[in-house]
Amino acid sequence: MLDVSNLSVRFGDAYALRDASLTVHPGDRIGVVGESGSGKSMLAQALMGMVPESASMSGILKIDGTEMTRATEAQWRALRARRVAMIFQEPLAALNPLRRVGTTVMEPLRTHLGLSRTQARARTLDLFEEVGLPDPEQRLAAYPHELSGGQRQRVLIALALACDPKLLIADEPTTALDAEVAQRITDLLVRLSRDRAMALMIISHDLQVVARATRQLLVMYGGDIVERGETRKILSAPFHPYTRGLLAARPRPQLARPVPGTKRPRLPTIPGHIPALVDLPAGCRFSGRCPAELSRCRTTRSTEFRTGTGLAACHLLNPAERSKS
Amino acid sequence: MRRFPVNLVLGAALAGSVTLVALLSFIWTPYDHAAIAVTNKFASPSFAHWLGTDQLGRDVVSQLMVAARNSMIVAFVSVVLGGGIGIVLGVYASARGGWVENLIMRVSDLSLAFPALLFAIMLAAVFGPSLQNTVIAIAFINIPIFARISRGAANQVWTREFMLAGQAAGMGRMTLTFDHVMPNIAAAIIVQATIEFAVALLAEAALSYLGLGAQPPAPSWGRMLSDAQTLLYLAPQLAIYPGLCIVISVLGFGLLGDSIRDLSDPRLRRER
Amino acid sequence: MTVLLQARNLRRTYPRPRTTLFQRPEPLVAVSGVSLALERGETLGIVGESGSGKSTLARMVMGFERPEAGQILFDGTDLNAVPARELQRLRTKFQMVFQDPYGSLDPRHSVGWSIAEPLRAARIDNRPARVAEALEQVGLNHGDAARFPHEFSGGQRQRIAIARAIALRPALIVADEAVSALDVSVQAQILNLLMDLQEDLGLAMLFISHDLAVVAAISDRLLVMKQGEVVETGATADVFASPAHAYTRSLLTAAQVAPATGSSPASNRKVPA
Repeated sequence: MLDVSNLSVRFGDAYALRDASLTVHPGDRIGVVGESGSGKSMLAQALMGMVPESASMSGILKIDGTEMTRATEAQWRALRARRVAMIFQEPLAALNPLRRVGTTVMEPLRTHLGLSRTQARARTLDLFEEVGLPDPEQRLAAYPHELSGGQRQRVLIALALACDPKLLIADEPTTALDAEVAQRITDLLVRLSRDRAMALMIISHDLQVVARATRQLLVMYGGDIVERGETRKILSAPFHPYTRGLLAARPRPQLARPVPGTKRPRLPTIPGHIPALVDLPAGCRFSGRCPAELSRCRTTRSTEFRTGTGLAACHLLNPAERSKS
Repeated sequence: MRRFPVNLVLGAALAGSVTLVALLSFIWTPYDHAAIAVTNKFASPSFAHWLGTDQLGRDVVSQLMVAARNSMIVAFVSVVLGGGIGIVLGVYASARGGWVENLIMRVSDLSLAFPALLFAIMLAAVFGPSLQNTVIAIAFINIPIFARISRGAANQVWTREFMLAGQAAGMGRMTLTFDHVMPNIAAAIIVQATIEFAVALLAEAALSYLGLGAQPPAPSWGRMLSDAQTLLYLAPQLAIYPGLCIVISVLGFGLLGDSIRDLSDPRLRRER
Repeated sequence: MTVLLQARNLRRTYPRPRTTLFQRPEPLVAVSGVSLALERGETLGIVGESGSGKSTLARMVMGFERPEAGQILFDGTDLNAVPARELQRLRTKFQMVFQDPYGSLDPRHSVGWSIAEPLRAARIDNRPARVAEALEQVGLNHGDAARFPHEFSGGQRQRIAIARAIALRPALIVADEAVSALDVSVQAQILNLLMDLQEDLGLAMLFISHDLAVVAAISDRLLVMKQGEVVETGATADVFASPAHAYTRSLLTAAQVAPATGSSPASNRKVPA
C-alpha cells in the first residue's frame, strides 16, 4: 500500500533523509529506531506529507499507487486520517484541553465521513471500546486532564483510527509513559494492527518497545537507513557497525557489578558524538565514528547488501571488498 | 511561514519619526514656539509656516515639535520611574514568595483597581497642576502594571531547572534574581515598557487636555487640543494637528510593542 | 568506610486542592517512612516510576524541601537543624545533576559562568583555573568555557552540568534522571563518565532513575520505591539475582529487551492503562 523509493528530504545541502526506500503492506509492523538526527521523525513526517516548508523533497512516495512527492496540501488532506494516521509522543499536548475527548474524536467522523451526531457518537463509543478505554460512555464527556497518561494515549489512538487508516504511524508513542503502561499501549497497537489488517510503523529510540511490537526493523543514522530486516534477528545478530554499537551501548541488567568492591564494568560506547546535519560525512554517515571503517567509507555510500539477517548499507559486505582482504 | 512584518515596520517608522522630531526640537525648530505675532494669527499653511499659525500667531510646527519633546520626556520618565519601582517589587515578591508575595501583589491589585485619572486629578488638586505631578501620577499607575508582569515572568523563570541548580550551588535568592531572573525577563519587560510608553503618551495628553498637565507656555498636544476646542468652527485644523500627532505616536509605539511581543512570543523556540 | 549521608524515616506530603468547601482533602503522601544510608564513595541507586516519590526524596536530600518528619544527616549534621549560614557551607559538599540538559543551564550565560556559579557562592578564588579543570575532567575543552549552552549537544550539555556539580569537589552527587533525556549511545558515555569521576574523585552518588537497567549499571546498592515507600533494598547483584518484591520483578521484566514473538501477549485482553 505504501511504496517509497529514494525519498530524500533536504534543507539546502543538508539531508535530513537520504534516499530512503521501503514498502509497506497491509498488516506489516515496522519499527524505526535511531537517535536524535537519525531522520526517523523526518521519515514519519514525509509519509504524512508534513515536511517543513523550508525543506525540499525528492524521490518517489506512492500511497495506494498515487504519487505523492509533489502532491498539494489539499491532496494530502484527503489522504491523511483516511489512509495514513499518526499518533504522537505527548498525548496531553496533542489534545485540546478545553474540549471533551468525545467531541474531539467525533469531529473527524462528522467532517470527513459525514456521519450524523448520533452515528458519530455510536462510532466513537465503539472506538473507545476497541482501544480499551474503561466506561466509554463516561469517557466521552471527560476532559483530557481528567484522564491518565495511558488513557489519553488511548483516546489519541481512537482518534487516529476514526477514519480507518491503512497505516498508523506512532512517533515515540510510549516515551512519556511509565514502563507498565507503555507495555500495555504497545500491545494495544499490535492488537489493532492485527485485528484491522492495518500497517503499523513505530518510531522509537526505545528498543524494548520496538522489540515487543514489530516484526521488521529499520535502523537509521544520520538520515540514512543503515540496516533493515526482521526485528528479532537484527536485535540478536546486528550487522551494521552502528547497529552493533547502539545495541551494545544499552545498559542491560546483566551488566550489574558482580562483586561489590571490584571495579565496575564500563559500558561499550560509540566514540565521538552525533554530528549536526550540516557536518555529516558525504559517504557513509557513520564514517568517522565507525570502528571498522574502510578508506572509501568517507566518500562513497555503500549500496545495501544481504546480511545473515536482512540488508545493511555497509562496504564491509561488498564481495569485492571482502576478496581484497 | 514568514510574513512581512507590516506592524513592526509601520510601528518602528511612526515611533522612530516622532522620536526624531522630538530630538530635533532640541537643536532646531522653524521658529521660537512661544513667539507671539498677533498680526499673523490663523495664517494658512505656507512656505514660511508649514502648518500655519494659531490664534496668537505662533508657528504650529514649532509648537508641535516642542510638544512632542515634552510628551516624550514625561512618558519616558514616568515609565522608567514607575517601571523601575514595579519591577523591583515584582521580582522581590517572586523571590520571597509566601505572604510577602501575597501582600505585594494584593496591594498592587488594589491600586490597579483605583482609577488612574482620578488619582491624577487628586494629585493636581492637592499639589497643583504641573508636568512634575503628571509624571508622578503616570509613574504611579505604572507601578502595579510592571509589578504584575515582572512577577509573572519571574515566577516562570523560578520554575526552570537552572534556578534549582543555582540554589544547589549555594547562591541566595537575591543573587539568583540578579543573575538569572533579570536577564531572562528583560525581553518581556522591554516589550511591556514600549506599550506602556504609548499609554503614558496618551495619559499625558489627556491630563494636559484637562489642564492638569503642562502649563503655559510649555506646549503640549493635549493643551493645544483643548485650546483649539473653543475655536473649532473658526480654525478646525488647530485641533486636527495635535490630534493627529497623538494618534500617530500612540499608534506607533503601540504597534511597535505589540509586534515585538508577537515576534518573541513563541518562547518554545528551542535551539537544537 | 564511613556513612556520609543518612536519612531516617522521612515523610513529606503535599496538600491537595479543595474540591468541597467543608472538607479538607487528604494530603498526597509523596514520601513516607523512607530511610537510607550512603557511605563515602558508594553509589546508591533509587528506582521508581513517576509518582514513586523518588524526586521528592532527592529534593529533600538537597535541602530544597524540608521533610515533615524524619532527619537527614550529612556527615553527622542534621540539615534541617542547622542555621541557614551553616547549610550554605554544607552545600558545597553535595551537588546535584538534573534531568534536562536544556533546562539546567541558563541560556543567557556562558558555560564557564555557569560552572563558576557554585565557586562564586563558596567565595573560591582562582575560578578560571577551576572551571578549566572541571571542563577537562568531563572530557570537554577548557576553551569551551566562553561558549554558550545552545552551541552544545544534549550530551555535551549534560557534561557541562556535571562539570558544574564537581567544580566544588563535593563528597556527594545527587543525579536525578541525569541520563534519561539522552540518546542511548550518549547515555552510555555519560554513565561511563560518572563512573570514572566517581572512582577518581571518591564521590558518593545518589543515582535516581525510572530505568532499572541504567541504575543497575552504575549502582552498588539499590532502593526500589513505589508510591512513596521503599519496597525493596539491597546490593544490586542480590536484588537482580533474587528480587523479593513482586514490583521489583515486574520492573526487571520490563527492563529486558524481549524479542518480538509470533503471538502478542495482549492479543486477547483489554487492559485499561
